Amino acid sequence: MSEMRELVGDLRTRLRRAHEGGSESARRKHTDRGKLLVRARVEHLLDPGSPFLEFSALAATGMYGAPDASGTSDPVPSAGIVTGMGMVSGRLCVVIANDATVKGGTYYPITVKKHLRAQEIARANRLPVISLVDSGGAFLPMQDDVFPDKEHFGRIFFNQANMSAEQIPQLAAVMGSCTAGGAYVPAMSDETVIVKEQGTIFLGGPPLVKAATGEVVTAEELGGGDVHARTSGVVDHLAVDDLHALAILREIMETVPGLDRLDHRGSRLDHRGPASEIEEPAEDPEGLYDVVPTDTRTPYDVREVIRRIVDGSRFAEFKQLYAETLVCGFAKIWGHQVGIVANNGILFGESARKGAHFIELCNQRGIPLVFLQNITGFMVGREYENGGIARDGAKLVTAVACSVVPKFTVVIGGSFGAGNYGMCGRAYDPRFLWMWPNARISVMGGEQAATVLATVKRDGIEARGEQWSVEDEETFKAPIRDQYEAQGSPYYSTARLWDDGVIDPVDTRRVLGMGLMAAAHAPVPAPSYGVFRM
Amino acid sequence: MGLDKLDHRGDQSDHRGDQSDHRGDQSDHRATVSSVLVANRGEIALRVFRTARVLGLRTIAIYTDLDAAAPHVREADEAVRVDSYLDIDAVVAAAQRAGADAVHPGYGFLSERAEFARALEEAGIRLVGPSAAVMEQMGRKDAAREVAERAGVPVVPSYSLETPADQLAFPVLVKAASGGGGKGMRVVRSAAEYADAVAAAAREARSAFGDDTLLIEKYVESGRHIEVQVMGDRHGRAVHFHERDCSTQRRHQKVLEEAPAPTIGAELREAVTAAAVALAEQVGYTGAGTVEFLLDNATGDFYFLEMNTRLQVEHPVTEMVHGDHDLVADQLRMAEGAPLAEGGQVRGWDGHAIEARVYAEDSFNGFLPQAGRAGVVHWPGAHGGRASRVRVDHALESGQVVSTSYDPMLGKVIAWGRDREQARRALVAALDDTAILGLTTNAGFLRALAASDEFRYATIDTAWLDQHEVPAPDPTVARLIGALVVATRLSGSGHPFAADGWRASRLTEGLRVDLDEELRVLVDADSSTIDGRELRILERDALDDGAERLRVEVDGERHVAFVAVSPSQVEVVHRGQRHVFERPDPNASHGEVRGEGSVTAPMPGTVLQVLVAEGDTVEAGQSLGMMEAMKMELTLKAPYSGTVTTVAASVAQQVALGDVLFEVTD
Repeated sequence: MSEMRELVGDLRTRLRRAHEGGSESARRKHTDRGKLLVRARVEHLLDPGSPFLEFSALAATGMYGAPDASGTSDPVPSAGIVTGMGMVSGRLCVVIANDATVKGGTYYPITVKKHLRAQEIARANRLPVISLVDSGGAFLPMQDDVFPDKEHFGRIFFNQANMSAEQIPQLAAVMGSCTAGGAYVPAMSDETVIVKEQGTIFLGGPPLVKAATGEVVTAEELGGGDVHARTSGVVDHLAVDDLHALAILREIMETVPGLDRLDHRGSRLDHRGPASEIEEPAEDPEGLYDVVPTDTRTPYDVREVIRRIVDGSRFAEFKQLYAETLVCGFAKIWGHQVGIVANNGILFGESARKGAHFIELCNQRGIPLVFLQNITGFMVGREYENGGIARDGAKLVTAVACSVVPKFTVVIGGSFGAGNYGMCGRAYDPRFLWMWPNARISVMGGEQAATVLATVKRDGIEARGEQWSVEDEETFKAPIRDQYEAQGSPYYSTARLWDDGVIDPVDTRRVLGMGLMAAAHAPVPAPSYGVFRM
Repeated sequence: MGLDKLDHRGDQSDHRGDQSDHRGDQSDHRATVSSVLVANRGEIALRVFRTARVLGLRTIAIYTDLDAAAPHVREADEAVRVDSYLDIDAVVAAAQRAGADAVHPGYGFLSERAEFARALEEAGIRLVGPSAAVMEQMGRKDAAREVAERAGVPVVPSYSLETPADQLAFPVLVKAASGGGGKGMRVVRSAAEYADAVAAAAREARSAFGDDTLLIEKYVESGRHIEVQVMGDRHGRAVHFHERDCSTQRRHQKVLEEAPAPTIGAELREAVTAAAVALAEQVGYTGAGTVEFLLDNATGDFYFLEMNTRLQVEHPVTEMVHGDHDLVADQLRMAEGAPLAEGGQVRGWDGHAIEARVYAEDSFNGFLPQAGRAGVVHWPGAHGGRASRVRVDHALESGQVVSTSYDPMLGKVIAWGRDREQARRALVAALDDTAILGLTTNAGFLRALAASDEFRYATIDTAWLDQHEVPAPDPTVARLIGALVVATRLSGSGHPFAADGWRASRLTEGLRVDLDEELRVLVDADSSTIDGRELRILERDALDDGAERLRVEVDGERHVAFVAVSPSQVEVVHRGQRHVFERPDPNASHGEVRGEGSVTAPMPGTVLQVLVAEGDTVEAGQSLGMMEAMKMELTLKAPYSGTVTTVAASVAQQVALGDVLFEVTD
């Protein structure tokens, strides 16, 4: 078995665990109450057979302690919230669903980040948002990292209000508790459903009420479905069970007029892509398991990857004979025209200039960009610095930063240093960023970082006239290497929402197609750039 | 020499009106028939028209308002509206108006009504059948019995009505003298039951036939129903076309019929057929008739039961074992007065044929009659081969409304094989390929029966179906195929969110299909998997209205299935049986569920009696009223003891299936 297959097997194991959700006892308690598990809710919400592109299913992995005693599950699998895209009543929607079997569906800091990221995707692509609420609100022990800051809990409602203002529908179903701040998710939605005898909405729960005023009241009397549907008007529809609530949401979606479906220059387009038959790659995508070396130091031709991603394996290359370490060209993915920028070695000044030129071209033509990132960095050394490689690097970064067309990034190997910037890393707002399980991401390689730090230390020691043995240096470098090794892992990345998920390389074509379809829901403005350093 | 050598239609002179008794008349009095009115509907009308057309006759149909668009009306050259198929004056008038030379009565309706035969005689129109006098004789069981005795044909030992109960050798059969079809018939096994049974039989006979004369006979506990097809000319001669065995019957209604009889030898065959011919000649029988016998399995004795003075429903099995001989053509020749040939009357015959009657009834739910609009109807393709042939006589097309006003038989599937086993297998395969969507039929029951060891080894006697339950078909394979069709219709292409159930890293359990239970379908171009079972679609043909016919391999075993998918249900016909899988509707009304104290109409029909009033106190099981549907009387009983709170039924009211008629609260 190829190493890539082993890595993909490991990915599947991790995903399978995360998909289980909370502990077995928590799940049983949940289903015994007549409630569906979160992924079943999502499936019943979606159109029959609809694909679901889940975002960052491995979020929070390892962030809040080690896996439990059985070693089978992370303490906060998927960060206690399921987000993704799928079809509801024939419309592509973003779904945000709390998993009440994970710490009662409460919001850890990374839960907030994941919720906000899903909203960001919805807003950028103008996709309706459907929230399935079953959450106890903020995870109180970590309130300082959840509540007060700009990108914290309050931002969820800020986004809801502003998306609604932008005619992006906001729907919610309350399928469990919805306490305190959480109460605002349904309240801020355009239309809201509640499940009778399951859903509750209140700013302060019965214990708080008793503490504050001495009033003794049940949760159902305080903020149950009947109260909110018949008396308070906080919700608009009363459902008898989960399935009924989801069916009501589907009915509501049918009544929502379609958003204008636009191509990347604002003309009307069927968002499902061109009507013509979609051509599969001529090269079997399964071949990706064998053609890509898992060691990022082993060179290979990135065109082997491109051929296994694009329609008919057809790729019209731009400036093929110039600056060969950066491959640029046009292709179609699921019928969508794209411009592909792919690393095929280290970045030199001319590679950066070629990339900047190509990106400008795509912006002029309104063609979405796909970055296949496998970059150890820009070339270093006197010759290159003196030649102004920083000036060329700046051109590429400017072109990427100012791009108005939808951008998609797949980290298929290394993502190191300024190469990450020039190749549209997370900071450059790609609509989606996915990582392959062999990917590595850090400011520089572990060995380089250890050497740099050791050199600085040695210089200091020797300046004081002291000696530093090779053994001592090695003792100093080992933990640095270990740290970079751990933090460079795609699972370290995906846990922290540096990406939208670790994907099986074979899924690359599919998820890019999904991203392109989502992106086609939003218009693209005219291009404009900052000052290019010439 | 055989009937096919008859000199028919040779005489062009018109002897219409010369309807004097031809018995023993050897002169060549013939009357050309050049047009025929069929006083019937459904498959038998089509059957007669088919032959009439081959013979170049003008065809005339009659129809009631319900049948204005029926297939038999379209098939005929002309059609005349009548108020009822049973209205003798109207049918005769229709024949006169259309200038019909002859009337073919089919079976049922007026086919055995002597008054009808007489009315036609008086109107100078030939009846394709025996004379009124013969009909009258054979139509009365007592008279028929006397004829049989005169012809030397054994009859069932009988008792006079005056015989005291304690002198009867039980079991005995009490039956109506003018009966048929099991009405007014009672088996009595002890003296204690005798008086009640006689009273009930008389009551039924009076209401069904207007004549409460009863006969008391020895009852044969285990018997086979053997009947002989005869044909008599107007010159006093009769021939036979061998026997049929119709032992597979339920409540005296034939279910499967075959020729030849599987359990008799040459000697018995010779005796039975000779007896039938003797009887026909004794009575001066003309045209096609059937002499029915009961064969006592215990003794090997056979007894004359009755003679049916018409073409039988099951005549195709006889035709098929006689090289597709056309009995209707013979009937028409006999009606013209053509003589049977001298000499050997027994035609050559070959192989074995079995007929299955397809009815609109729910065999696994008390055989309740079904009515309504048929969806897509698929009959097995008629085909011929050296080893087997299939014939379908039917008058049911897609979209046709089946009403409770007429006989619920929809058609007949007949299979011929070189031997009985080949015929049986061909019948099973043909029933597998029979589908009537939208309407429950007995095809699944027929298929199960034809596939059973009991039928295979011919151990089913006339009482078997009344004593044994045929197990309802297992819906598992039908459900799997239904789910597969739903799933394969979902899986789309063209965009990455098309409904193929995709999940990242192939972590899919498959497409969810919610039928009466949740199934997970992993669809693959080659073979799909559902619940660990492998399904391969071998053939897939689109029918009308989005329905499909599929040949599917399930774990290596091949099946034919018909599938129709709607948002609310998935309907699958598999092995003849219609399975309806309701799809859950989360939006379904969550209102109050209808109380269990509701007494609803178990089928569409007419309310005959209302026995209670609102406020009455009733006991569990007490009769609240009575309704009639499909010739059956149904008692509506209180579900439990309590008070009648609602009486929604009124006498003579037409009610639909499921209408609430009474409410009882405890």
